[in-house]
Amino acid sequence: MAAPVNKNDCWRVPEVYKHHEQRKVCISRPKYREGRKDKAVKVYTINLESRYLMVQGVPAIGVMTELIQLCALYGAVEEYRPLDEYPAEEFTEVYLVKFQKLTSARAAKRHMDEKSFYGGVLHVCYVPEYETVEDTRLKLQDRRGYIKRAAHFRAREREQKEAVHEEPTSSETTTTPEQNIPRHSQTFHSNSTGETSNISQYSSFPILPLPPQEQQFYGQKNQPETTPTEDKMGTLHHAITDSKQQRVQSSSSKQTFSNRDRGAEHRLTSNQPPAVRFVPRTTNLQNRKRKMEEAGKHSVTVSGQNEPLIGPKLPEPSKLDMADQSLNTTVGLIRNTMKQVASVPDLKPVEKKVKPRRRI
Amino acid sequence: MWRKSSAESSDRFEYLQTLVTEFQDTDSDEAKEQVLANLANFAYDPKNMDYLRELQVADLFLDMLTEENENFVEFGMGGLCNLSMDPGCRDVILQSDGISLVTNRLASQREETVLSAVTTLMNLVTPSSRSQITDPAILQCMLRFSLSESPRLRNLAAVFLQDVCSEEQVSRAEQQMKVQQTAVGIPLPKD
Repeated sequence: MAAPVNKNDCWRVPEVYKHHEQRKVCISRPKYREGRKDKAVKVYTINLESRYLMVQGVPAIGVMTELIQLCALYGAVEEYRPLDEYPAEEFTEVYLVKFQKLTSARAAKRHMDEKSFYGGVLHVCYVPEYETVEDTRLKLQDRRGYIKRAAHFRAREREQKEAVHEEPTSSETTTTPEQNIPRHSQTFHSNSTGETSNISQYSSFPILPLPPQEQQFYGQKNQPETTPTEDKMGTLHHAITDSKQQRVQSSSSKQTFSNRDRGAEHRLTSNQPPAVRFVPRTTNLQNRKRKMEEAGKHSVTVSGQNEPLIGPKLPEPSKLDMADQSLNTTVGLIRNTMKQVASVPDLKPVEKKVKPRRRI
Repeated sequence: MWRKSSAESSDRFEYLQTLVTEFQDTDSDEAKEQVLANLANFAYDPKNMDYLRELQVADLFLDMLTEENENFVEFGMGGLCNLSMDPGCRDVILQSDGISLVTNRLASQREETVLSAVTTLMNLVTPSSRSQITDPAILQCMLRFSLSESPRLRNLAAVFLQDVCSEEQVSRAEQQMKVQQTAVGIPLPKD
């Protein structure tokens, strides 16, 4: 054929690549290398992964909606279309599904591959060849960022571990924990300042996991896609079959709505950095207790010097240092409240009890 | 998610060590391939990075790049692609002259190997290694890849040309390409 191949032609018959094949399961592994599931000998890299999945083996009985609903269990589906031109087994269909996030696609692949679906067995594989250059770039950047964060986290954890190891041996026991604590209190504090307000409002509800945050990342990207140039999904259909496009959008927007319904705290909490380390309050309290005990041992010898004077001057309630900003704030709050309560001469004790606000 | 007990982490280390030992001791190519693939996949999980670095798995992968067996090369390159995402492992690979070993495999017949090689090269870019990675020969190779039939290779080469090097470097490489061709990345004919 002499006709030049237009690379972006969405009507081109999709090619069958080697990585679509299901590799033969390896059965010759020794026991200690056997996993829970039989797997082929294959190396996964970020190049093989993609937020585009191809689902083969879907029975041709009009279950597209059901398939997409199943996919949506693992994350927001941005677009989908049947791959009619892709060579399929008899009475089955092949679908292309584009998730908003790679992690969703990963979860969907893991849970849907080789599972039966309306009498057929699905074969799910990544199809990175449908990515745009921008998709590929973002995918790599995300991965690099994730690994870098993980490396930082490990380094920090190691530092902390070393610090903890040093603690019992060093003579200045009080200095090492104090070096650690600011770090804790910082993260803890930055957390608490942002969240205390909502937590107090919805304190009776556990915080739900964050909704898929794709909107934010791909929000800007959607705009160029509305221009009539065709993309890899063949979204040339703007002019021709607009209803399909709308269906796609409504299905995805439905999802976001349902997420929104789930509660306002999603949006409020979604601002927080991804790797927030939560230091449980009990840990803080235990640290403090340990420090107090250690300090107590030292101060036994010098006790008496700081004893409050007994005399005309009423002793100021000794300022407790909880060695943690968050705890100190709490102590301060409690102290002030107690002062207020004590100063009010026996008024009617809080009749209007604040009802915990109920969410519908 | 990243939290782990020390017992668990020492188990992990021992397991990885067993794999490395088996790889070195076995004479069976099949077992070697399996273990190599295992190690390369373990390199995908950041939890294992420190152990793999300690076990010098980066050098093991680099050794595989000079093997005849194409599976060894593919898996080794895949492992490097996964490892090189981590800054610590990246430095190890750079010290072992990884750039030239990886560059030599841009001419592989296998697409997966080439893709891993391009991604690895991108991961290996640091202020000091940039000049070596943006060598005109490599850029010309990427320019050829960007015209490839395979969309994956095309995209990856485009990202390389846009992100790793400057526009002047690309246009200079384009100029040079018209005058003189380099052979980096051109696969040898199959026999």
